[in-house]
This record gives sequence, structure tokens and C-alpha cells, in this order.
Amino acid sequence: MQDVVENLSRLIRDAASRRRPLCIRGGGTKDFYGGEIRGDVLDTKPLRGIVSYEPTELVISARAGTPLVEIEAALQEKGQVLPFEPPHFDRPPQPEAPQPPAEGQLSIAPVPTEEKLATLGGCVATGLSGPRRAYAGAVRDFVLGARILDGKGAELHFGGQVMKNVAGYDVSRLTVGALGTLGVILEVSLKVLPAPAAEATLRLAAGPDEAITLMNDWGSKPLPVTATAYRAGSLSVRLSGAPSAVAAAAKKIGGETMDATHAAQFWSDIREQRAAFYAGNQALWRLSIKPTTPPLDLAGPQLIEWGGALRWLRSDADAKVIREAAARAGGHATLFRAVDKTAGVFHPLSPGLAKIHRRLKEAFDPAGILNPGRMYPDF
Amino acid sequence: MTLSAIHRARPRDPLPEALLGELRARLGDRLATSAAAREQHGKDESAHPITPPDAVAFPTSTAEVAEIARLCARDGVPMIAFGVGTSVEGHVLAIHGGVCLDLSRMNRVLAVHVDDLDARVEAGVTRKQLNRHLHGSGLFFPIDPGADATIGGMAATRASGTNAVRYGTMRENVLGLTVVLADGRVIHTGGRARKSSAGYDLTRLFVGSEGTLGIITEITLRLHPQPEAVSAAVCAFPTVDAAVRTVIQTIQLGVPIARCELLDTLTVQAVNRYSKLSLREAPMLFMEFHGTPAGVEEQARTVQELAKELGGMDFEWATQQEDRNRLWQARHDAYLACRQVRPGSRAFTTDVCVPISRLAECIAATNEDITRASMPVALFGHVGDGNFHLVIPIDETRPADLEEAEAINRRVVSRALEMGGTCTGEHGVGIGKLDYLDAEHGDAMSVMRSLKEALDPRNLLNPGKVIRVRDS
Ligand SMILES: Cc1cc2nc3c(=O)[nH]c(=O)nc-3n(C[C@H](O)[C@H](O)[C@H](O)COP(=O)(O)OP(=O)(O)OC[C@H]3O[C@@H](n4cnc5c(N)ncnc54)[C@H](O)[C@@H]3O)c2cc1C
Repeated sequence: MQDVVENLSRLIRDAASRRRPLCIRGGGTKDFYGGEIRGDVLDTKPLRGIVSYEPTELVISARAGTPLVEIEAALQEKGQVLPFEPPHFDRPPQPEAPQPPAEGQLSIAPVPTEEKLATLGGCVATGLSGPRRAYAGAVRDFVLGARILDGKGAELHFGGQVMKNVAGYDVSRLTVGALGTLGVILEVSLKVLPAPAAEATLRLAAGPDEAITLMNDWGSKPLPVTATAYRAGSLSVRLSGAPSAVAAAAKKIGGETMDATHAAQFWSDIREQRAAFYAGNQALWRLSIKPTTPPLDLAGPQLIEWGGALRWLRSDADAKVIREAAARAGGHATLFRAVDKTAGVFHPLSPGLAKIHRRLKEAFDPAGILNPGRMYPDF
Repeated sequence: MTLSAIHRARPRDPLPEALLGELRARLGDRLATSAAAREQHGKDESAHPITPPDAVAFPTSTAEVAEIARLCARDGVPMIAFGVGTSVEGHVLAIHGGVCLDLSRMNRVLAVHVDDLDARVEAGVTRKQLNRHLHGSGLFFPIDPGADATIGGMAATRASGTNAVRYGTMRENVLGLTVVLADGRVIHTGGRARKSSAGYDLTRLFVGSEGTLGIITEITLRLHPQPEAVSAAVCAFPTVDAAVRTVIQTIQLGVPIARCELLDTLTVQAVNRYSKLSLREAPMLFMEFHGTPAGVEEQARTVQELAKELGGMDFEWATQQEDRNRLWQARHDAYLACRQVRPGSRAFTTDVCVPISRLAECIAATNEDITRASMPVALFGHVGDGNFHLVIPIDETRPADLEEAEAINRRVVSRALEMGGTCTGEHGVGIGKLDYLDAEHGDAMSVMRSLKEALDPRNLLNPGKVIRVRDS
């Protein structure tokens, strides 16, 4: 494996000396996400395999190119899970869902469908988490350590496999969600948890205001809620934990119980964006805001998750209007999927923050070759 | 470099008279230069010798902190943020002189959003003050280092406490920050949204930076609902090893235990004396379970079974809030209690954290170090996360004591590193752990150094801590 790393390091050093951008890519399942993609592809798939997994330790370490399915299968065998339920996005999305520009326009070749498998590296670099996120924590909360190659091709190791570590700056988590702009992730150690012993999904009829109130109300009580989703008059809530706790909470919440197969499919469709809501070509916005915000007065259908803290919006409304609404609600808006991304994918940074971002980028990647433009146009 | 060498080698220039005048004009009597005030701000709770700053400022707003920072930056004067000085690795010592910014007067709880489960506080609010403020709201803030530290200091040290197994550390519970940068500019990171803001996760970069990247003036925190049911228990064990094995099995079974603390026999004796308790003088676990009444009972029963199989005795419940408070206050005071084991001594502490599967082995080997030590050394810790401490009481008049303590620390740290652990699980680096960082991180130190240079190019923020830049 060290030869694979050395090869990557050589490619980086070479690119740095020629100032040629590199596009870091695993399974290519999240090519649609973020800003511009350009440069020579740096394929992480050869970095494959679980490096260590000691179920009793509740820690797994795997190379960045390892498919998430492989990791999840290994965990499942021992009754454990990735608590943040990362979306894979590796099945072909709905036929009409917004895609990156058609072949020919995309500056790099798309990954053939059969090779489209979400990798651990992409999961950590995008920092995306699924329905359980609001209740269990995000990817970054489970990253214990990481090994990366910086923009000079140097191999660096941050954090480790311990639960708590305050020995210096929290660099391993800085790379989470940095979209590869700070380094090529080689290996990650994650904290995992036992799979819940019991699960139940309930469905309640509710209007949007009532649904937001209910979600927040559950969130402020010691109930074993692990997912919530609201769409068009229907509020779904998942409970997970010890059978007695799930049963007691189900009684308190009420509503109609979904059968287990149907429920599993339902949450998977939410997580993987295969629900009908995500179909079609209209821009998909993701608004991360304070959870008690009442239904947003924005044009277009909305789907609410994370106890009210996450609002998905299909809308052609002006980006500025959407971003202002998100800011007023204490958060920010991301243009998650869209054909036209000229409005910018991520919330613009204030000049002060932008300066710090540029300095951090320089510290890791002085030649500016790692995924330039993927996060913000200028670094 | 040894610690004593760090204390000796400190190039420092006197504060420019003009700067002093300007600070005084702005702050009036909120600028102190008396020997008493400076000494009080030149020490922490550790055995490090007092190293006072040249002046102490008591700002009352972000704008004032920014103004002080601008002036200090102009004159190239070091700035040391100060909460209440309860850190234990020499974090606040003014080894290069400069101005100490004591933030304890910035102590307003700015907002509590009960429905959103968050609060915004000024940096000088202490954890107990916040929880008093939350009383009756149904919410609480779980991070509880033994001392009544400030939220700013806790964010700066990425502190944790007895609740980390279940609720995480400051890393997971800070949503956003207001930070004054080295040049006096003010930035806001994160926000009230659960997902951190767009761009890099600057919040997590400042959390744990020990005042070396910026001065935190406001913090948005995540709050948690008070559990419906709480029950605490203590259990004595024939050996430390049996207690540790009980913890490991509990964690591995996925029991969502909220608190899980180990005290060795010496610690229990010290705690009995200090907190007037009458616990059986044997290795002990202090535990607490949070959840629904049914859930709590189930958890507790599981752990009780495990403990019994490993020889646990006198499993005793504390269901009354009052009894629980007494128990946890006693645990929080364990450090002070252990210091009293040798009256008049100062305490040298260690703080390693290892993977749970190596914990029993690590503690067993550490116990051999303890047996060989010439002074009574206590061992206790947050074993639920693999983190434990030694308290080594040292007599300041005996230089050999400090040497011996450092030697023990070196052994404990290198053992932890060999086991894939860290030299510090919660106390932080300060100056005490500087030397171990290279061993732990290797080349990654160069990136940390360039992060420091990116945010504080002139090395004015708490210089000489966490990272050595050029001549610091
Ligand atoms: C009895 C006892 C028990 C303890 N138990 C624990 C424990 O269980 N877990 C644990 O983690 N720690 C523990 N500690 C250590 C200590 O309480 C923590 O490190 C605490 O977070 C320090 O907070 P403080 O307000 O005292 O900060 P200070 O000691 O005043 O400062 C600590 C560091 O943070 C910086 N700083 C302070 N405020 C700010 C700010 N606003 N902005 C930027 N930088 C700032 C300082 O420059 C310094 O580097 C314990 C200490 C004692 C004495």
C-alpha cells in the first residue's frame, strides 16, 4: 500500500511544481456536489481496504478509497453501525435529478455507473451525514484521526484512535468537509456504535407548523428519537434503542406504526435522495438553520429533517433571497444540486473569514493545486 | 527542553510606557499592574512556578478586547487570555511577559433558547453559573471539568469532564464563537444551525487552541434536556483491574452510561478525608445513568451484573439528588483531595488517554510505576473514555521531587503513545506537554506550526504554548 501512497505523493509533488490542478476523486458519486471540478484526476480507489477493526474497541480504520458498503458490511457483521448514516448517492439518482453538466461539458470523464461506489474518503471530505445526524452527531464528530497527503505531497497523521485527544490543534476534523482542498485523505479512524436493538417508525398527520413544533418538542425531551422527516402533511419519526425505551416512547408519540421493511426503505430513500421529492430538474437547496424556525416563506416544495434544523427546498427563487432567509434563521444555504451553479454553491464568506480561509489553504496547499474551486472559486 | 529550562529562558521586554498609558486611559482601574494582581495571573493550578505578566486587563466587552489586541499588536506585545486560571499545564504563564486579558468580568449569559437547545454566553461565564442560570428550564450544560472553569477557558482547552462518554466534550458542544484575532479583528464562526457554517470548520480549530490562535469572547453552546430519570451508583472492587474491566465491558456492550469514574484506593482515602465521606477504602467506580426510568433501570442492572461477575462489592445507589451532588462534588474535588495527601505540596498531574482495549494493561503498568515512586501517587480518571490521571504531590523545596514526577510522566506518556494513545486527553498542552507533541504527531507538527503562523504571524497570542514557533 505504501507504493500507492508514494505514487500519489509523487503525482502531487509533480502537479505542485507545475501548478496544475488535481481533482481528487473516489467513486465519483458526489461529483454533483460543490463548485467547479477541474484538473487531472487523482484516483483514490487504489487506497482500498479496512486497516483495522476491533469491534470491542468501537473503532474502525480504513483507507480512503474503501467503498462505504464494504465498511458498513463489516460493521453489520458485528452488529455495529456508522452512527451518522452517511448518504452514498451511488445509485443512479432519479432520472431527472439535476446532474453535473452533460458529458463533454464536464472537464473530467464521469465514472462508469458500475464503478460508482461511494468511498470513505468522499464521505469524510464532503462531511455529509444522513437522517440520524441531528440525534447522533455528524461525520466530524466521529472522526478520531486521519492520515493525509498535503499539497506538498507530505504524509501527515493527525489524531489517532482514542476517544479524547487535546494534543494540539484539531486538524483531523478541519479536513472533514473541506472537500479535499486541504489534503488528500489517505486513511480515517472512525468511532462506531452498536446498532440499536430495536427500531420503530411512526407516522403522524400534521401541518408544517405543527410538525416543526412536534419535532422540537421531542428533541427537548429524553426520547430515543433518531430521525425525523416532514413532507406535505406527513410527519415521520424513527425511534431507536432498547426495546422497552422504544415502546415507551412510541406510546408517548402516538401516530401510526410503519412496518419495518417499509420504514427501512423510507429512511433509505430520504438518506439517498431517492424519494419523489428529489426528482426533477429544479435546483435543490439545503438550508441549515435553527431548528425552531417556522416554515420558511420561500417558493417551492420543502422537506424538513433533523428536528427542524435542516430544510430541503426545490426552488428557482433568487439565490440571494434564499440565502438571506437562511441567514435570518441563524444559518446558511447550500445549492446542493443544480444545473446552473453561477450563484455559488456555498454561502459566501465574510471578508474576514475569507482571508483566514485563504491562509489556511496556503498552509496546507501552498501551490493551490488540490481541488481548486470545489469549495469557493478563488481557492 | 525541560520545564525548568522553559522557565529560565524567557526573553522579555518591558511594556512600552505609551502602551500602558493608552490602556490605562481606556480601562481606568480595570488595568492592574500591582505585584499581587500580576502574580495571581501568572499561575495556574499546577506545580509550575509563578510567571507573572506585565499587566492585567479586565475587559468587559468584545470591542474592548479588540481594542486591547490592536494596541498590543501595534507594539508587538504578547497577549494571554485568562479565564479563572484552573488549567494545569502552565497554560496561562506569561513566559514572554505581556498583557494578560482576564475575561472573568465578561460574564453575562446573553441568551438561552430553550426550544432550540442552545445558549450564547460571554467567555467569562463559568460552567456552574450557566447551570444555575438554566435551573428550571429543563436543560443543562453537561461539560464539567472538576474546577468551576469559564466557558471561554473550557472552549480554549477543549475541556471535558465526567459526562463526556455520553455528551461529548467541548468539541461536540460548541456551535459557534466570536473571536478576536491577533490583530484585533473580530470574526464570528459557526452559528446556531446544527451543521457548522459554510467553509472550513474554524470553530473546531479555535476550540482547543489554548489562546494561541485567537481570544474567544462569546460562545454559542449546545444544551441538553435534563434526563427524565437519573441514578448514580458506587461500587467497590477488589482490584483496579477488576474495576477497569467492568468499565470496558460496559462500553463495549454499548450501555449508554453517562458518567463512569475510577478512583484508586489512595484516591478514595483522600476523598473520604477531604469530602467527609465513608466509602469503603478500595478501588471504586462512580457511575451515573441517564434516560427514561425504564432505560436507567435496564442500564444499571446490566452494569451491576457485570460488576458482580468481576468481584464488585457494595453496589450502592444514590437516587436522591442531594446524595448525588455530594458524590460528584467529591469526585470533582479528587484532585484537591489528593494534593492534601501530602500537606503543603503542589500537584503534578498526568493526563494520558489510550484506546479502551489497552486501558487495563496501561493502568496495570502505571500502577507499577506508582509502587516504585517515593511519594504517595493517586490514580483516578474518566475511564469511560480511556482517560486517567496521576496526581503526584511534590514538595517545592525538594528539586528531586519535580525530577521524579517528570520521570514518571515521561514513562506514562511514552507507554500511552506506544499503545496508540495521546499525551493529553483533556488538560491540553500548555508548556507541560510541548515536548511530547513531536513524538505524538511527527511531521504533522509542521502543519500545526503553519496554522499558527497563518493566524498569528507575529506569535503574539499566548506565545510559547502548544507549539514552538521560531524562538518561543
Ligand atoms: C480540580 C481540577 C479539576 C479539573 N478537572 C478537569 C477535567 O475533568 N477535565 C478537563 O478538561 N480539565 C480539568 N481541569 C483543568 C481546567 O479546569 C480546564 O482546563 C479548564 O477548561 C480551564 O478553564 P479556565 O477558565 O480556568 O481557563 P484558564 O486556566 O484561565 O486558561 C486556560 C487556557 O485557555 C486560554 N483561555 C482562557 N480563556 C480564553 C478565552 N476566552 N479565549 C481564548 N483563550 C482562552 C488561556 O490562555 C489558557 O491557555 C481541572 C482543573 C482542576 C484544578
